[in-house]
Amino acid sequence: MTQHTEVMAHGGHADAKRQGVNIFIGLAILTVIEFFAATELPSVFLLAVIALLKAGLVLNYYMHIGKLNANDEAFDRHTHAYKTNTNRLGLWLFLVSDFFVFAGLLVVRFGLYGSEHIHLNQVLGLVVTAVLLVSSFFMNRAEVSMAQGDRKGFIQGTLITLILGTIFLVGVVFVEWPIAAHEGITPDSGPAGAIFYMLTGMHAFHVLTGLIFLGVILRNGLCGLYTPEKHFAVEAAAVYWHFVDVVWIFFYPALYLVGLGG
Amino acid sequence: MNKGLRGVIFLLAGYALGTQLFAGLAFFVSGTYNPFDVSSWILAIVVGGLAMLYGFVGADIFKTALFKGLAGQVVGLLAGGFFVTIIRAIMGLEPFGRFGFSEPAWVFGGFVGTLTFITGSGIVTDWFKWSKGEETPEHHDDPEGWRKYFGVSLDHKVIGIQYAVTALILLLFGGLFALIFRAELANSGRELLTFQEYNTLMSLHGIVMIVSILIGIGAMMNYLVPLMIGAHDMAFPRLNAFAFWIAVPASVWLLSSLALGGFDTGWTGYPPLSARAPVGMQMFFLGVWVAGWSSILGAANVIASALRMRAKGMTAFRMPIFIWASLATSIISLTATQLIGLSFQLVMFQRLFGMGFFDPAKGGNPILFQHLFWFYSHPAVYVFILPGLGIISELLPVFVRKPLFGYRWVAMSSLGIALVGFVVWAHHMFTSGMNEYLRVPFMYSTMLVAVPTGVKFFSWVATIWGGKIELPTPMLFVLGGLVVFLMGGLSGPPNATVSTDLHLHDTYFIVGHFHDTMFGGYIFPFFAALFYWFPKATGRRLNETLGKVQFWLLTPSFLVKTFLMMYVGMNGMRRRIADYDPALGIDFLQLLTTISAYLIGLSVLVFLYNVFISLKNGEIALGNVWNSRSPEWQVPSPMPAHNYERDFEVVGEPYDYGLKGSQYVKFEESGD
Amino acid sequence: MQKLKHFLIAGALVLVVTIVTDLFLRAEYLLPVQASLQSVPIDWLFDLQFRIISFLFALITVPLIYSLVVFRRRAGDTEDGEHIEGNTNLEIAWTVVPLVVVVAIAYIGAGNLAEIRRVDPQAMRVRVIGFQWDWRFEYPDSGVVSNELYLPVNKQVLLAMESPDVLHSFWVPEFRLKQDLVPGRVTEYRVTPTLEGQFKVRCAELCGVAHATMERPVIVVSQEAFDAWIAQKQAESAAITDPVELGKRLVAQNGCAACHSIDGSAGIGPTWKGLFGSQVPLADGSSAPGDEDYIAESIKNPNARIHAGFQPNAMPQYSFTDVQIANIVEYIKTLR
Ligand code: HEA
Ligand code: HEA
Ligand code: CUA
Ligand SMILES: [Cu+2]
Repeated sequence: MTQHTEVMAHGGHADAKRQGVNIFIGLAILTVIEFFAATELPSVFLLAVIALLKAGLVLNYYMHIGKLNANDEAFDRHTHAYKTNTNRLGLWLFLVSDFFVFAGLLVVRFGLYGSEHIHLNQVLGLVVTAVLLVSSFFMNRAEVSMAQGDRKGFIQGTLITLILGTIFLVGVVFVEWPIAAHEGITPDSGPAGAIFYMLTGMHAFHVLTGLIFLGVILRNGLCGLYTPEKHFAVEAAAVYWHFVDVVWIFFYPALYLVGLGG
Repeated sequence: MNKGLRGVIFLLAGYALGTQLFAGLAFFVSGTYNPFDVSSWILAIVVGGLAMLYGFVGADIFKTALFKGLAGQVVGLLAGGFFVTIIRAIMGLEPFGRFGFSEPAWVFGGFVGTLTFITGSGIVTDWFKWSKGEETPEHHDDPEGWRKYFGVSLDHKVIGIQYAVTALILLLFGGLFALIFRAELANSGRELLTFQEYNTLMSLHGIVMIVSILIGIGAMMNYLVPLMIGAHDMAFPRLNAFAFWIAVPASVWLLSSLALGGFDTGWTGYPPLSARAPVGMQMFFLGVWVAGWSSILGAANVIASALRMRAKGMTAFRMPIFIWASLATSIISLTATQLIGLSFQLVMFQRLFGMGFFDPAKGGNPILFQHLFWFYSHPAVYVFILPGLGIISELLPVFVRKPLFGYRWVAMSSLGIALVGFVVWAHHMFTSGMNEYLRVPFMYSTMLVAVPTGVKFFSWVATIWGGKIELPTPMLFVLGGLVVFLMGGLSGPPNATVSTDLHLHDTYFIVGHFHDTMFGGYIFPFFAALFYWFPKATGRRLNETLGKVQFWLLTPSFLVKTFLMMYVGMNGMRRRIADYDPALGIDFLQLLTTISAYLIGLSVLVFLYNVFISLKNGEIALGNVWNSRSPEWQVPSPMPAHNYERDFEVVGEPYDYGLKGSQYVKFEESGD
Repeated sequence: MQKLKHFLIAGALVLVVTIVTDLFLRAEYLLPVQASLQSVPIDWLFDLQFRIISFLFALITVPLIYSLVVFRRRAGDTEDGEHIEGNTNLEIAWTVVPLVVVVAIAYIGAGNLAEIRRVDPQAMRVRVIGFQWDWRFEYPDSGVVSNELYLPVNKQVLLAMESPDVLHSFWVPEFRLKQDLVPGRVTEYRVTPTLEGQFKVRCAELCGVAHATMERPVIVVSQEAFDAWIAQKQAESAAITDPVELGKRLVAQNGCAACHSIDGSAGIGPTWKGLFGSQVPLADGSSAPGDEDYIAESIKNPNARIHAGFQPNAMPQYSFTDVQIANIVEYIKTLR
């Protein structure tokens, strides 16, 4: 079974696009709710629920976690499709492992600083979050386009993702960090600083690797190396990118919103 | 000149030169020249070893991936170090430190060195090609003879042997450290080592042994999993090679800490002490971090292989039991390992950037480190033993000629141990000052692990009961492992109940407990596996007599050693001390312990000698030596490069010994 | 019939071995004397544990060794064993029974823990400072400071423990109890000594280079003797006004001697003998006059000018007042 036919089975090109848009709108609304929930009604639990919802949407609709369920035991082991499913399993195993790093970082955040608020620039936080969210949408567009054989759409989507990702990275590392440092939150200033730089730093490192990955698929895509049937690298880059987004879905409230209203 | 002779001469010359080379380096650091410096004499083994290789095989050694990688590592270390030094000089910071480079320079150099090892040895060449859209052949042909073991091979069997040899080398290093510091402990008073030297050797002993275990289980899983499931290789052969090869620079970093002031924190690296130790601490962190990635990637590969590459008809409950053990182990390695990496990374950053995670003066919390650390390091102890227990379950039926009693229960108990193991970590922290109310729930959860472990023991006994028992060397090691592990396991509950642990914590009782569990759960089964599968890999058997000599040297002295450890521990002997109070009245017992330790060392030497002579002159064994039902024994030894020439189908239960006419696997008639 | 015979013999042997092992595995043979109220329930739990261990050890090893002897393959026998795949009832039994046993042990353990943690509101308070690499004990009621922990017998004492540097752990084997000292917080240790005598507190958490030497006497005496000791200590400290003596006492209380000798022998830090007035060689190759300034600076900021041949970061930070430092310098001056 190829990517192509799978998407077709879901109901054609337009449907896939509409679904991408719907999910994006859902995520955006949830983010707004999240922000106001944090200011009005300080509850870490509520923030966690919203973050889990958002993560669920991304996992299911953008990262297609359901594809892991491919029931292909009876298929010939030497086919490309079987190997792709194995590769996909490998990719997800890696993500599961990586997830534990970020979970550990969240433990550090709450272990050291409880539900105290870290005084960061809210506007910047919201802006970079929005940028990353939008990038996920375009990543999804790029991947779906590739699956549907729309090479131009793929190039466009990837390029926009790459640009947005770079904006995010620059925004965090070269704008937020200096601003925070200027306001006295430095790595050695105390728990808040240590947490802020460590969490954003580890995340930024993953964004950077994601960008390199995107660069590779963009180049190979321009060279015409991918087909609707054979483009696991694209899928992997996309899933990885969404994973980085999911991490931020948890980091954003943990860093910016917790304790905001209290 | 005779090659062997040349090798020995080079070894000796290289070693002698090495000692003075490192002593000379130490002179630049400390200003005093000590030709008998312990660290130099240990590090010189590496120089001597490389010289010996050169002596044996000549200049060809320079063309191997191993050498290129190591050279790359050194170059990268220096390049990274100088880079940071220059930057620091430009920024107006103190460019140098006590060990030549400043600490950040060493750490950055370490990262660069790891990367240059990876690129230098060529393990990522194929991936680079892929990223440029080039295709590479699915397999590369390995060179003939010794060379394939020093080069990047994608064959899981070659990688398995590479893992095994590396594990044995590290075992020798770790054991050597133990023998050195055991000599110091032979009586009270301090004669041989300074405090710092003792602490460093003791800490390195712990971590080198643990890394040796992680690599050793890598050896078993790599070699056996594809063979047992009837695959041609692991799911991701390149990742497999990668996971092995990064363990090499990791080991080098660990040893290098000896030259950089050592570290005096034990293998646990608790801050705030680890935030103050010399630069060697950072090399320890770096080494463990890289070794951790080796473990994680290896585990992902095992899981993917076991889930996706099984032969036709091999349903979950028809898998060889070792596969279950590997799966359970890999689940832990894959996930929990990240937490030890993270905890060490946080201390590294605390040292480098002043981030006060565990520094109370900066609002940090030292106990948080212990939670993160043990969240890995407790489950990790089950990583050490599950494959070993899998080997025990695998070999018992063969040598008693009866089915494995309660196969499904044994399979599930592995998963049970692994999963319960995730929720018991704080039993290492009963005295740490963590929240008091956490102690009782962790006591309950810890005690629960005894249940699935017990299922294994009772099923083993039921397997043995009424069987037709044979006692060749592998079976001896299996039974020895079983008894030793039982002693280790049974010494667990007294640690697990809080009030008794308040007495036992950080005493030699604990040291006795974990040597028992680790020997019983890993060392003994590992030797059993080496004896059992040696013919499969080489077509020759290891010498039985020497095997029995080894076993009877090892087992009694080991039991004496750990029993005495537990005894002196209960009487007031603390862990991790270079010297003890003569008033404890344990000098004689300590001497006995040290003598036993040396006998254990001797038994390992007997094994090495055995391997050495059996490789050349061992009895030829090409068939089903042990009369096993397992698929790998149904084809002639040694195994060809891509395993089975004909695929097989599973048509029965794996351990139906004694059931006439039953069959586990059926090979296809013609080639695939 | 034959089968039953094997079971019976093995079962009997299990019992015998259990009883024999248990005779030797007794807390009273294996552990140091009981010197605290808390050690009684703990030793009771040890005995329970050892009894269970003895039984389980016998339960596994006896059938094992029995099998090796009785079911060994006879020469010439090429048959396989009997085909028994398992027995679900048995498996359930040996899952459920141990489950019950371990839960019971944990339950008993929890009760045991509660028993040893019983709080006496009248407990005497002592402030314990563990530092690299020594102990100091301060009695807040009387202001006495000492390096020996004197305790009155049969009275609960609450040790409020602090560390200025790294983790340490307070352990007196005869008391059975152990508690870590954590920098940045106060940890508590409650014990009721019941046996007069001299014991030792042994630091049980690796705390750096000289961890092994971090031991100090713990002396349990009668209430009268304790009061007398306090009075004597108070009188002693009131009597001292000489800065040299004051300095000497500070040095003793802070464990400086763990690293600095006063007789010229080598140690972790430079010896003090002849330090004052000498020309001190420094690690960077230069040298400094060993005067009051240099010594005072080296106490306050040990890394400022390091003595050649010694390592930076080896010396912990102390929070002496200037007067105290001056007293210590006066003392060092006398060590010619
Ligand atoms: C291979 C490694 C291994 C294994 C398998 C185990 C197994 C167990 N360990 Fe061990 N442990 C270590 C390695 C291991 N441990 C190490 C390395 C340390 C020290 C780390 C450090 O500080 O450096 C340590 C320390 C350690 C501590 C901390 C002690 C301290 O520092 O204060 C504790 C406390 O609970 C503990 C408990 C247990 C228990 C309950 C088990 C159980 O899994 C044992 C279960 C098995 C049995 C119980 C026997 C068989 C079962 C039956 C026959 C069934 C019936 C049994 C009953 C009803 C009881 N271990
Ligand atoms: C698999 C794990 C493993 C193994 C096999 C061993 C093996 C041995 N261990 Fe230990 N040990 C640990 C894991 C292990 N250990 C850990 C994790 C710690 C805790 C560290 C900490 O507290 O942080 C520890 C701590 C530890 C201590 C406590 C130290 C202290 O607290 O101060 C002691 C003390 O006796 C000890 C002794 C020994 C001895 C005598 C052996 C012997 O069995 C060794 C036998 C000898 C050999 C196997 C080597 C033979 C080699 C030669 C004869 C020379 C040839 C060498 C070359 C050419 C390189 N070990
Ligand atoms: Cu203080 Cu060990
Ligand atoms: Cu544990």
